[in-house]
Amino acid sequence: MKTGRGLLAVSSAVFAVAGLGAANARAHGFVGDRFFPPTIATDDPFATDELLLPSISYFNAGSPATGTTDGGFEFDKEIFPHFALGISGDYLHLKPDGEPASSGFDDFVLSAKYQSIWQSDAHEAIISIGALWEIGGTGGKQVGEDSASTFTPTIYFGKGFGDLPEALEYARPFAITGTLGEDLPTSAEPNNLEWGLALEYSLPYLQSQVKDIGLTAPFKDMIPLVEFSFTSPENRDGGETTGTINPGVLYESKYFQLGAEAIIPVNNATGRNVGAIIQLEIFLDDIWPKLFGHPLIGSDK
Amino acid sequence: MKKITIQSLVAILFLVLQTHARAHAFLDHAEPKVGSTITNSPAGVKIWFTQNLEPAFSTLEVQDAQGREVDKKDAHLDDKDKSLFLVSLPQLPAGTYTVIWHAVSVDTHRTQGRFKFTIK
Repeated sequence: MKTGRGLLAVSSAVFAVAGLGAANARAHGFVGDRFFPPTIATDDPFATDELLLPSISYFNAGSPATGTTDGGFEFDKEIFPHFALGISGDYLHLKPDGEPASSGFDDFVLSAKYQSIWQSDAHEAIISIGALWEIGGTGGKQVGEDSASTFTPTIYFGKGFGDLPEALEYARPFAITGTLGEDLPTSAEPNNLEWGLALEYSLPYLQSQVKDIGLTAPFKDMIPLVEFSFTSPENRDGGETTGTINPGVLYESKYFQLGAEAIIPVNNATGRNVGAIIQLEIFLDDIWPKLFGHPLIGSDK
Repeated sequence: MKKITIQSLVAILFLVLQTHARAHAFLDHAEPKVGSTITNSPAGVKIWFTQNLEPAFSTLEVQDAQGREVDKKDAHLDDKDKSLFLVSLPQLPAGTYTVIWHAVSVDTHRTQGRFKFTIK
């Protein structure tokens, strides 16, 4: 499951201005006629070349209440057809109430994903599998990291509703993606069920596949969505389920996606305040098609 | 000073790449409009894409409600605008028609889609 990513000083304002002025396009993540955008709180079911840089979030939770600013990155590369490896990292700044702040890297996470163990283009549906490995000892002790690792095998799925009957045509731009994973720590930490869902309504799909209702830029390139992200401890007195509901919007430009969501805790165990996250996803295969968008070994075609 | 230099370099790189790079081709707008109802049989279907296409690998056809192809099988790119894909149509009776397209952009990215229009 995606979390916040590491920080790098980039000219985000320049990106935004340049991108909004360019012609509109999207990249990767296709099943049949459906483009599935990369989502923020939950990972998508595609094994493609991606660069997420940066992702910046703020959330206040825990006891004592701790304001966490998280800046992160993620890079994924297709190695064999439909199989990608990735690495992600987060730089955390923690400020507990009444205590001094601390900063440092979270544990780095390696990922592997195999796309399309099952797929139906006609029904815009896909199932993929993968795993995450949070590498213990790679993060800073000052931000609470230790030597324990966590391995999380995960199922990813996606379903677009373009196959709905004509009587429900305005529901056809809806799509869902989701993940279901099991945290297997190497320490005495509890096993957790990690589960999440993204429900999105694609205005580009509406305009190009259902009905041109006259939307203009930037709205015709926006995908409003709401994501649900939960962690359910299963043993070792792990406590109750925690999670967030993240309403937001994605903007699809020619070479990047810009996303923003609110982070709303579902219960007091998660937190008491609303946070926020913004994220820039760079479409590597559109910017450098000769370098990205195809596997290192073998061919997708 | 170092941070400002890095930011400026990244911004310049991004702007330069935008002028030279390509991307996936998506339907920008069409005639007849996507999901529209019209009163007269159109002379053809036109689709404007967001990128120039490779004509040899791109397809465009129109089917009737029974799934039969009804266009004149002359799908081609406009001579002056390589992002405009057209196919001619004979006189069509009232009914609902499906436009099915497969696009390959000049940098070989593939996209596809379909939409309906209705002749009253």
